[in-house]
Order: sequence, then structure tokens, then C-alpha cells
Amino acid sequence: MRGMYIHSFSAYTGEPNVDVEWLKAEISRYTRVNFRRGNRFILLALLGACQCIHERSIEADTGVYLTTEHGNLGETAAVLDEIYTARSLPKPYGFINTMSGTAAFYLAQTLGSRGRNITVSSQHLSFERGLELLKLDFAGGAERSALIGGVDEASLSGENTGQENHRGWRMADGSGWFYVKPEREGACGSFIANRSFRDAPSCIDWIRKRGGPPLDLLSFGALVGEDEAAALKAALRPAAVFDYLRDGGYSGSATACGVGRFMGHFQGRSLLHINRDRRGNYAVLEVERY
Amino acid sequence: MGRKPFVTGKAMTCSLGDSLEGIVEAVRHQRLKLEQLPFTLSGLPYTRPYYLIRRNEKDQLENRSEAYFYEVLFSTVSRALDDAGVSDAEIRDMPLFFGSTSMDVPVFEGKHRRRSSSVSELFLQASNGYGKIAGAVMDRFGMEGNTYSFITACTSSSNAVLYAASMIEERCIERALVVGYDLYNNLGFYGFEGLKSIASSEYRPFDRARDGLILGEACGAVVLEGQNRKDSDFMCLGGANLCDTYSVTSHDEEGAAVAETMNRALMQAGIDPGEICAVKAHATGTENNDRTECAAMRLVFGHRIPPVTCVKPFIGHTVGACGVSELILLTESIKAGFIPATPGFREKDEALNLTPLTENRQTGEGIFMLNYFGFGGNCTTLILSNRGDGG
Repeated sequence: MRGMYIHSFSAYTGEPNVDVEWLKAEISRYTRVNFRRGNRFILLALLGACQCIHERSIEADTGVYLTTEHGNLGETAAVLDEIYTARSLPKPYGFINTMSGTAAFYLAQTLGSRGRNITVSSQHLSFERGLELLKLDFAGGAERSALIGGVDEASLSGENTGQENHRGWRMADGSGWFYVKPEREGACGSFIANRSFRDAPSCIDWIRKRGGPPLDLLSFGALVGEDEAAALKAALRPAAVFDYLRDGGYSGSATACGVGRFMGHFQGRSLLHINRDRRGNYAVLEVERY
Repeated sequence: MGRKPFVTGKAMTCSLGDSLEGIVEAVRHQRLKLEQLPFTLSGLPYTRPYYLIRRNEKDQLENRSEAYFYEVLFSTVSRALDDAGVSDAEIRDMPLFFGSTSMDVPVFEGKHRRRSSSVSELFLQASNGYGKIAGAVMDRFGMEGNTYSFITACTSSSNAVLYAASMIEERCIERALVVGYDLYNNLGFYGFEGLKSIASSEYRPFDRARDGLILGEACGAVVLEGQNRKDSDFMCLGGANLCDTYSVTSHDEEGAAVAETMNRALMQAGIDPGEICAVKAHATGTENNDRTECAAMRLVFGHRIPPVTCVKPFIGHTVGACGVSELILLTESIKAGFIPATPGFREKDEALNLTPLTENRQTGEGIFMLNYFGFGGNCTTLILSNRGDGG
């Protein structure tokens, strides 16, 4: 994956259900734009992205690639309640903001950017799939710079109960962003490779054959089991394992936040992040920090 | 230089049925199936029109369930795969590009009818994310490729087409399944009524008396491949997506961003505006959309705007599904020898100064522009060709 250079980054993880007024106050530290109609999902997207590009001028055609597992959970539930419980028509902006793509719009509007504007999801591999689309747009010349991020409200759905995920990770709101360009000059890191594998054997086969310099950090996505992680660690022999889910909490967009935390907090130069989805597809993301 | 992808398989389920031949004949003869639906939950004393899928008893709104949701989806995908004639091995390798506005909200609303829990509670407890539907298709058809679910409101499945085509062109993949799917849901019906966007009785895009959009439901599926299977297969020449940051609800009526999207698509396709032989307009029938779209076409084509067709009056505004469903409706009509007229158009709006086709126009080979716009300023243009020389 050539030419995916990270020029700035952010990794916001916060307690679930934090007051939206607090989010607005945080955002106001980075921009004068007032987001009166912003809901939690939109505000999370704005906060993470504003932190990413703070005091940095970005190009006018910068694309926005928002990846998410669940999108606008809270607003959608609220509007469903308006219809089914209050038995009224939804408020216009409430309804429009159930469409999760509006978060990417507000971001583009704040930046004054008229590039591509894509919101994409893929169970547990959303951030990796978003990077694939961005790489494609760089290769085809459709974009020359982009903000790509993962945003999710803390989800208490399915296996997740109380304030914890079924694996015991603390639930969190997450918003991790990267300003990416195909040029290296001025970059602080890069997405070196983003590989997809259809099953565990093909992923492990690649890992066994992997050459290159020793790996500084290894991290795993939420669905990689403990035994599997131990086997992969033994095969890769990293200097350390980075458990960003334990440290930062779990959200649907934990991968983006985890990579952002690596960029911000670690001395090591290289990170290999191994992720998988429910169908057993694997994605291996290699990140280098300059 | 990359290869251009072809639409080798297609299938659709909509208010006009689930047979492509039947749908095209209904379009040719303007046989529309429009119903009036009440706002029972909020007790409003009026109805609004809707284009519902009505194949049999199972399609009754009150009979619908999660199984129904997936039956419509799977049967449409199955027919598209059959139409392409792809082998089991080819299906296994396929990635899926999925686009929808409502995603699985109709499933939660259906479950709510059967349980006492609130629908928001069901939604928050059972939501497995936007990728769930795509995952279900992969499981059902034994597909092992990657999945990409696009959530860009009414441009969702047109963006799915755009990226599937780009991946084939860049030789990242050999072929792709692209699906646009939106079923009736109260969230959308009541939501658009809350915006006062729904027409009272008839769909009349670009008409002086237009009074809004009419929602419809559809599932459209296409197979895109790096090589054609039939001489008549349409080729995707290119496309573009841009964000009009004017407003979350509406586009800048000067049309600059929309025109820029069209121009970038033309440039990416490597053709001049004069080579476009017809435009499928997004044409929602709302004041803002129609004004913006006309202004943008004028910026791109000057005074030589090609024939314009508006297909929403046939199947309704199928929101996130419209990218694929309108692509199928247009290309199948062209294969049958005509560009569809626009039902409901009677009187020119002098402010727009544009008359869409009022009678079916005979056509053969050509290059066609398909426009799609959505909330959140999302603008997408696709350029398709069935010219034997590849466009």
C-alpha cells in the first residue's frame, strides 16, 4: 500500500453517555463553528476530526471517509420513539440526522471541503474497508488528501450488556481520525499495508512467511480470541502487545482509535494490527510511525 | 489503463413487480401502481401516496417480518446472479457492495408489531451494525469476498456502484455484486412527511405544479464484471462523488457542486458533454432538487441539454436503493429500444425552463449520464455506455 501517509491523527475515547453539552464545549476548543443541531454521533465525529486537524491547514478538495459499525444509534432510537411512543411526526433535523452520512457532511462543511464524502461500514472491519476505498481513490486520482476516521457511540447491543462488552472491555464512545495524503513530505507515519484474508490459515500462512524488520507492537481486533492471539504473538514475536481495547475501552470503531493511540503514545516505530469479522475474514494493517 | 466494468447481471423487485420484462413493459406503457397510505400511528387525518411492492399476500405491510425482509433480498440477488450466469466459484470469490438508507430498520419495526417492547429498545438491543445485511447475503450465497455497506442517504447504492466499478477498473477484483435495498418503514414515511416533502397525489418532477416526492420500495441487484458476457451489456465508463457543503438538507440552487460532480464524472469517463445522448435526472420533484439539477445541467451542457428522463414516477423515490434500481430501469428500457418518458409531467415550469421527455424516445446505442443526490450534500454521477466501440 504505497502512498498512504499519515500527516496528523487523533484518538478520542470517552465514557458512554457523556453530556452532549460537554462534547460541544470540547469541540469549541478547536473550532468557532456552533453545532446547535449536532447529536452525539455527529459531535463525536466532529470532536475527533477537529482534534486531528487542529492548527493545520487542509486542502480544499480533502475527502471525508467516515467508517462506523453502528452509525447514529441514539438519534435513530429517539426518532423511533417520537413515531411509536409519542405518536408524532419526527422533528425534521432529528429525522435527517438518523442518516449517518450527515456526520461526514457536517465535517466537510466545517472544513470547507468539497471532496468525496463517503460513509461506509463492514462488520468489525469498517476502518480497514474504508482505507481500501481511500487507497482506490488515491490510485485513481479522485483524491489527493483525505480525512479518514472511525466513529461509534458506545453500543449496548447484542452481547454487550451493562457498561461492559461480553469480553469484559469497558464500553466507550470512540472517534479516531487520520489526515492522509499520498505524499510523504511532512508526514508523521504511514499505513504501509492493509491486507485481507478469507480465513485464518491464509492469514497465518502470510504471517509465518512475513519478513522485514522486527515488529515493535502487535494488536488485535475485538473478535480475535485469546488462544488465537497467543498463537499469532508466538509467530510474530513482537517487542510488545498493545491491548488498546483494555486500555481505551471498546467501541465499534476501536481499530481507528487504537491506531491513533499507537501514533500518539508509543515510542515504537511499527504496529501490526490483526482483525477479523464474524465470517472469519481477516484484515492485517501495518502502520509505521516516523 | 484500467479495464472498464460491465453490468452483466441484474434483477429488481419493486412496485412494478419482479420480472424485468414486466417492469419494462409497465414503463413503456406507463402502468403505475401507486397506493395511498395512512399515518395511523400519529392519527393524521389524511393519506400520502407510496409505491409498495405488491406481488402477493406476503407483501401486505402487516404480514411482513424479518423473514420477508430477507426473502425479497435473497430472491432478487439470486435472480441477478442467474442473469449474469456466474459460476459457483465466481460467486464464492465475489465481494458485495451494499447501499441502503434504512438498512434493517424495517426489521425492527416488523418485530415491534409482534412484541410489546418499544421499537427503539429493540433497535438498541438487537442492532448488529450496518454490515449485518451484507453479511447475511454473503452467508446465504456462500460468498467469501469483502463487504462494503454504504450509508450516504439517497446516493448509497450509486456510491456502491461507483466503488465496485473502480475496484474492477483498478484490477483489485474481477467482479462484484452490488445491491441497493430499501423497504417501507415508518421512520422514512413519517420522517419525510415531517419534512413536508411528500407529494399529495401524483409524482410530477420538473412540472410547474410539482409538490414533492413520493417514496417507493425496491431491491435492485447488479453483477459487475471486467468482461462483458453479452454484446448488449452496459459498460460503466466512470463516475464521481462530491460533497455540496451548502446545507445538510438541500443543495446550492446555483448548481455549482452538482455541475462539478457531473463534470468530474465526464472527465473520469474520458468523454465530452456533447457525447451524452440522455440524462437520467435524480428529479425528486422537490422544489430545491429540481431547481438545483436544472441549473447544474445548464452549467454542464449549456443550451444543449440532452434529452432528460425522470424514472421516479414509475417506482417512487426508493431512497438508498435508487442508485441500482434506477440504473436497471433505465438500461433495461434502453435495451428494449426506448428512453422512458416522464409520467406526470404536463406543464413546463418557466423558472426551470426544462421539459423532460414526454413520450418514449426510440434509442439504440449511446452514452448516458445518471445523476443521484442525497441529504448531507452527497452528489454522485455515473456514466454508462452501450456503444459497441466502448464509449
